[in-house]
Amino acid sequence: MAGTLSVLLIGLPWLGALLVWLSGDARPKILHILAVGTSVSAGLLSLILLAFAGSQPAVNFKFGGWFGDFTLVADGLGATLAAVACVVGSLAVIYSVDYMQGEAQLRRYYAFILLFIGAMTGLVLSGNLFFTFFFWEITALCSYALISYYNDDPKAVSGGMKALIITQVGGVGLLAGALAAFSNLGSFQIADLLKGATSIPAGLLAFIAYGFLLAAAAKSAQFPFHTWLPDAMEAPTPVSALIHAATMVNAGVYLLARFYPAFAQVPGWTLAVTLVGMLSALTAGLMALTATDLKRALAYSTVSQLGYMVYAIGVGGVFASQFHLLNHAVFKALLFLSAGAVIHSVGTRDMRKMGGLGSKMPFIRNVFIIGALALAGVPIFNGFWSKEFILEAGLKQGPVWAFGFMLFGAGLTAFYTIRMTWLVFYGQPREQLHVHDSGLAMKISTGLLATGALTTWLLAGPLSGLMSGSLPYHAIEPISTINLVMDVLTGAGTWLALIILLVGAGLWVVVQRSPNPIPQAHWFTELMGTFHEELVSSSFGFEWLNQQVVAAVKKSAAVLQKTQTGELNWNILGIIIALLAVLVMLFWGV
Amino acid sequence: MDAIRFTWMFAIPLLSSPAIYLAGRLGIHNPNQKGRPNLVRILALLAVIATWVPYIAAVRTFLSGERLEFAVESIWLRADAISLLLALMVLSLGTLVVIFSWSYMADEVGEEKFYAMLLAMMGLMIGLGCASDLFNLWVWFEGMAVSSYLLVAFYREQPASLEAGVKYLVQSATGSVLVLMGIALVLANSGSLDLAALHQNGARWASDHRLVSLAAAGLFIIGFGVKAALVPLHTWLPDAHSQAPSGIRAMLSGVVIEAGLIAMLRALSAIMHPLDWRIILLSFGALNMVFGNLVALRQTILKRMLAYSSLSHIGYILLGIGVSLFAGGEAAAQGAMFHLFTHMLMKGLAFLAAGALIYALYLQNGSHHALLVSDLAGTAQKYPMVALSLSIAVLGLGGLPPLAGFMSKWQIFVGGFSTQNGWIIALMVFMALNSVLSLGYYAPLVNLMYRKTPSDAILAGKPLPSTITLPLIFLAMAVVVLGLAPGLMDWLTAPAAKALLGLFGN
Repeated sequence: MAGTLSVLLIGLPWLGALLVWLSGDARPKILHILAVGTSVSAGLLSLILLAFAGSQPAVNFKFGGWFGDFTLVADGLGATLAAVACVVGSLAVIYSVDYMQGEAQLRRYYAFILLFIGAMTGLVLSGNLFFTFFFWEITALCSYALISYYNDDPKAVSGGMKALIITQVGGVGLLAGALAAFSNLGSFQIADLLKGATSIPAGLLAFIAYGFLLAAAAKSAQFPFHTWLPDAMEAPTPVSALIHAATMVNAGVYLLARFYPAFAQVPGWTLAVTLVGMLSALTAGLMALTATDLKRALAYSTVSQLGYMVYAIGVGGVFASQFHLLNHAVFKALLFLSAGAVIHSVGTRDMRKMGGLGSKMPFIRNVFIIGALALAGVPIFNGFWSKEFILEAGLKQGPVWAFGFMLFGAGLTAFYTIRMTWLVFYGQPREQLHVHDSGLAMKISTGLLATGALTTWLLAGPLSGLMSGSLPYHAIEPISTINLVMDVLTGAGTWLALIILLVGAGLWVVVQRSPNPIPQAHWFTELMGTFHEELVSSSFGFEWLNQQVVAAVKKSAAVLQKTQTGELNWNILGIIIALLAVLVMLFWGV
Repeated sequence: MDAIRFTWMFAIPLLSSPAIYLAGRLGIHNPNQKGRPNLVRILALLAVIATWVPYIAAVRTFLSGERLEFAVESIWLRADAISLLLALMVLSLGTLVVIFSWSYMADEVGEEKFYAMLLAMMGLMIGLGCASDLFNLWVWFEGMAVSSYLLVAFYREQPASLEAGVKYLVQSATGSVLVLMGIALVLANSGSLDLAALHQNGARWASDHRLVSLAAAGLFIIGFGVKAALVPLHTWLPDAHSQAPSGIRAMLSGVVIEAGLIAMLRALSAIMHPLDWRIILLSFGALNMVFGNLVALRQTILKRMLAYSSLSHIGYILLGIGVSLFAGGEAAAQGAMFHLFTHMLMKGLAFLAAGALIYALYLQNGSHHALLVSDLAGTAQKYPMVALSLSIAVLGLGGLPPLAGFMSKWQIFVGGFSTQNGWIIALMVFMALNSVLSLGYYAPLVNLMYRKTPSDAILAGKPLPSTITLPLIFLAMAVVVLGLAPGLMDWLTAPAAKALLGLFGN
């Protein structure tokens, strides 16, 4: 049963993608039906798969050659993430029916979204490193295609390119790690790597571990690869929700969680993971603070929240990270989709132009606030429980200084979340924007997600049971929801965090009441002054680094091109020089 | 089984070549005359289809374990797995190019010359794969070169085309002279030209005549390297690739330069232990990759971009071969052989798709203008099939799954990492980064084609006949199928890898 379901979870969306592509653009209605039909059925099946989760390969198919056996393992980690991908993905598809109404080239849109969902389930269910990489690369392709969907817009094109190149450079780490593991173990099976990690020479294991960390950081837009995610905001909003909540960025966190047992012993690895998570959480939090573009603010907050998950893995809280991943997927999809409803309605992403929209779109305002409260970590929304659980783990098992910074990050989160909500929905309207209410499909998907943001924390118990039962190498302790709630409520970290959160929220109130409430010039931004201009807008200098790399490549290409004179005499000279060089090398015995 | 039977796989194209030419000269006085069945095309198509019969028979014999060899006096023709792989590449792409050219070359003066030379080139390449002594290897190689000069300079009214032809001729001839000098050195010092015999006496011979064997090896590497487009010997290639008729570009990039590479390996196997030159091979591999990719980034003419990307793919193949000779690993050798094949499919597809656009946008409007990258904008609006197949081709070349190029590169990577040698692993990481770099010019092509606003050239484009889209569909499907089931080629790539390692006695 688990085998059939696993195959269907990849196959159904892919079949949908193929059918969508073959249907052509002429009848958009068929495309909507096909996309919604296949993705929703995949979503339902993914929930059924949770009941059949187990640690043994559900599918084992001899692929032959240098690729190893194709195995699908629907264990707690894989099945949960597959469910996140399929369910949240299908909600984004439902939402698209309204959002993408009347867009041209709809089949390209739906085909890649479905391909994306299928590839993501394949990635998390695969029990073979080669196929993990295979699906990993397909998600990169899909993200590229979708981010630059509006490809007549140069910003969308360059955003897609950036995402592709950065995640592909990271992918080299996964490739190298997977192959290094194979060269030692003679197997591509993930289970073999987890089992045999101790027998791998320390140097090689470190190579694999850091290779995977590189891949994960690039994919999950973690420090120092966080520069691609904000530019990816040129995508249609449902795609942003898909990338940020259901697919893509979860892949990096998944990779770290999956291989944590193998790499935890590698010297410095857990510290590196902790640092990556912490720096991402902080820098992205600061960037979210000063963003004026609604989607960018959300994008920065994704990087920041992913930082929490990575941090959690670094301090050994694998379950905490996955619990937060699940909750984050729900509330971040909710935030993106409701933000999309606003953007779709008013036609701008600039928060400085919004304001006072709450009374005109009450439904969207309400669900957005639910999402925002979950993001800020306000009890009893789902984000509260998982974030506090992460902080508890950090306080108990991690370095104190890191915990301190993460606590500060929680305050930042509260501050920018309130700022964002206020700018969009409250205050005086700053510009005359034409507002229309959102459609039914938008309301259905955001409504369902809002319900989720209120309730998914109740799944903590079953989720931990599922993971502890089916992940033999991870040593996850099952914890019932009640115990988790008690843990969180009695933990010192929680109360500290709540105080910080109140300070963050209070700070916004002070800012709001200050004499000059125009957001682009409020005193906080002024206080940051050049800090914002020079550092935040360039992603703390890493944008500059990216540009330098690109410029260096382009320059060397230009220099090399000059050597191509196209003159026969030079061409022959090239042959003669090469002959001399080869002869010298041969005689020297190189 | 009749030993001679497999030789039909190059005899049929070679014999049909003059027949096609004569039929064309005698039968068609006015090439623009409509309504008459065009004998030339039909004959060419029949000839390539007929060639599949002895090929399939040869494969069956080969798979049953029998040897394919045939001697005329002391000259042996032997078909091993490498020969069969090369023949399969030549035949597959050749057949599709004949179909593609059905309409593409229909209005050209000298259509019969085109088909006659194409068939001759195909036969000579298949023969090249079967040569078993140095002299015959060189003869087949020269024959292939001569037929390709004429094809490159086919548009003899076009100055650029003639220039490309002359450059190609002079540089290729330079290479041939070097090869000939190398052969002379070997013959003068060993008294033998037979590859296998030379190889068997290799150790003794090479130690007795160390300087001579080293010099001969250098001459072979550079001489054949011109045809195999090693950087910096490659300078003929961008011109030739951008000026030849589209079908020929596909052949040049998909099989001719690979045939040069195979000739080089065969010649080297006879006289040297690979330990002496594997570093050279790996260095050329690295140089080809990075040079090809960087210069391709700067190209504004699609054909030239694809031509430079061929350089980098030759680099990947060289790395695969170099790694397998380095460590004797079969994975890398098989990866290299597989990549020869997938590159043929993908690059052939890319050139044919680009050719389809040239035909629709320029040739049909009476222009020989080069197809610019910017012309691709909005291709999907009007030519969805071309846009899709060109996308599949370039994304496959860039190594994205689920396409064939991903699988063949992966095999090379497996081989490289299996050596557990730090330098080789560093080279593999460098290759992977190069693959990412290549996406820097492949991916924007796809993006351009799916834009909503078409370029002026696209707007003025004419419709495409089905003989042009059919080969595209076929190749695109092959690229996807091999990307999902790479094992389909194991029957040939695995023995070819073994044969390659066997050549060098590993």
